[in-house]
Amino acid sequence: MTPMLLQSAIPGLASPGIVAIALVYFAIVATIATWATRRTKSASDFFVAGAGVGLWTLAIAKMAATLSGFAFIGGPGLVYTIGIGAVFIILPGALSNALGAWVLAKRMRLLGEARGLFTVPDAIGARYRSRLAQGLAAASVLIAVVGYIATNLLALGLVIDAIFATGLPLGIWIGTAVILAYSVAGGIMAGIYTDVFQGSVMALASAVVFVFALKSGGGMENISRTIMAADPDFLGPWGTIGPMAAISFFFVFAVGSLGQPHVVHKFYMLRDPRQLKWYPLLMTVALAVTQLLYVSVGIAMKALVVGGDIAPLAKADQATPQFLLHYTPTIVAGLVFSGVAAAIMATVNSFMSVGAAALTHDLPIAFGRRVSDELRVGRISTVVLAVVAAGVAQVSGTLVAFLGIFGWGLFGSTIVPALAIGLNWEGATRAGAIASISTGLVVTLVGETLGYFKVYGLPAGVSISALALVSSLLVFFVVSWLTRRTASETIDADIQIVMNA
Amino acid sequence: MKRLLVRLLVLSIGLIVAAYGAIFIYPTSPAWAPIALAVGVNGVVITLMAVGATRHDTLPKSLVWTFVGLFLLCAGAFVIALVLPPQEGPGGRLFLGLPLRTAIVLYGVGVVPIAVLPFAYALTFESSTLSEDDLVRVREARASMRVRDEAGGRLA
Repeated sequence: MTPMLLQSAIPGLASPGIVAIALVYFAIVATIATWATRRTKSASDFFVAGAGVGLWTLAIAKMAATLSGFAFIGGPGLVYTIGIGAVFIILPGALSNALGAWVLAKRMRLLGEARGLFTVPDAIGARYRSRLAQGLAAASVLIAVVGYIATNLLALGLVIDAIFATGLPLGIWIGTAVILAYSVAGGIMAGIYTDVFQGSVMALASAVVFVFALKSGGGMENISRTIMAADPDFLGPWGTIGPMAAISFFFVFAVGSLGQPHVVHKFYMLRDPRQLKWYPLLMTVALAVTQLLYVSVGIAMKALVVGGDIAPLAKADQATPQFLLHYTPTIVAGLVFSGVAAAIMATVNSFMSVGAAALTHDLPIAFGRRVSDELRVGRISTVVLAVVAAGVAQVSGTLVAFLGIFGWGLFGSTIVPALAIGLNWEGATRAGAIASISTGLVVTLVGETLGYFKVYGLPAGVSISALALVSSLLVFFVVSWLTRRTASETIDADIQIVMNA
Repeated sequence: MKRLLVRLLVLSIGLIVAAYGAIFIYPTSPAWAPIALAVGVNGVVITLMAVGATRHDTLPKSLVWTFVGLFLLCAGAFVIALVLPPQEGPGGRLFLGLPLRTAIVLYGVGVVPIAVLPFAYALTFESSTLSEDDLVRVREARASMRVRDEAGGRLA
């Protein structure tokens, strides 16, 4: 079972109220983006917001970039389909922010301070003094980013089509143009400040819908009793997918959170590293509130369907739209669909930023070159990435679904060992990092390809992402142990100070 | 301390490998495989936190107890849900609106850590995570690297 963002058309929402709310939303995004764009004057501003972001901004922007539209559409649909098993995707949120804070936040921020770095592959290259490791990490980022952007643009196109009745192809290009407008002009600087607004909309929408979801089924106890009478496995601790698959979700989304470059690279942006003190609390609470919709709508819709209040859904993606249309006022539906658009746009902007940085900065370094005007080339790279991804998104269906499958897993298996463990363990070696990144790439790409074309699938519902992650972790330790005599040779003095801090 | 934690991390990865290996070896997943997976996954998460929190090869006692307690809570919640008999049918017992086994996992792993971890991080931040001295050292290192770079001493 693979979580997908949004693949099928959602019901038409072109009521005047929803259209008006959506227009107000887009106008506010445009205003914030214009303001932020005026502050973008260098490559550092474009890629890491000039390392001048405050804690609240960082936390809300990271939350907005983390969630994507999956939390609002695909996620509730998955809960409706497999029950509690789908909750294991968001369950790690209670742990993963503190995990990220202890393992990465301080060290990434100090690396930015010591070396002026601004990408995740940068950090890997600096840690191991290896252009090859940096290049491989950048290649994996680029592969996953194109797929992620394409699936998100397809989802945004579906939302725009549902609200404005534009048709899907035009909806995709309108969505792409809106995001490009502020991403090209203002880079992550514009992205991060629009994220604050977008994240706030997402949290508000989620909290409001949570109340309506509980109300629709007569409270959590009634909802549970209704479902347990018809489908006991749905509310069992592992849902309908069994414990191996559910705990694998937990593994991939807890440990894999340390390797998401569009989220992790935001640590470089914090103005004062001492503000990290309250980062886990802010981020965890923001994430928990914004994920209330994910859990509640899927379960409420299941209770409403098995209770006979509503017809069974034709497609799981219909769970949120149908719930909003039947059980919430127009203003709430408008707010949520703005929230969906917000989530998608925030995520796409972040992906564009890390993808453009990989093209502009990391890959040239891997080949021993440096781009002289990174700001200008970064802008061009952003356009190229967006146009390629939007073109892929137009091929709605199998190609997009295939590309969207492995993003999180590819990031996790290629980046977590080399970055998260490497920055905290002096015993990690350059060979271990290169071997683990290569393992993550090969296992993910080969495994997902075989699985997608139904040539081979893992037993017990275990995902390729989980197998790739544990394989790359294992290879990282084994190869580092075999080459342990070289461990101390790969750490520069300033990097050692950051690792010891 | 860090050497011990890295060994625990490798041991946890070993449990995950064993659990996944079992699904290839046996026609149906053996009962111990999800237990090994649950213990291994929580072991990886908590030992990674502890490795990240270790400074100068020491971990404050308060954090040691926090991490040990959280590991027992999270791994324990998964294992209890795995070994308790199912009670999710009609008339099954509910706890805070959810079937008992589900409530143990969702509240144990998804809610309780929210009330513990962020505060453990904040309360030990100055003493165990980042002090003014650390920042001074990093800034001094940067300055000296710049001097070396300008003298052409460092390879790109």
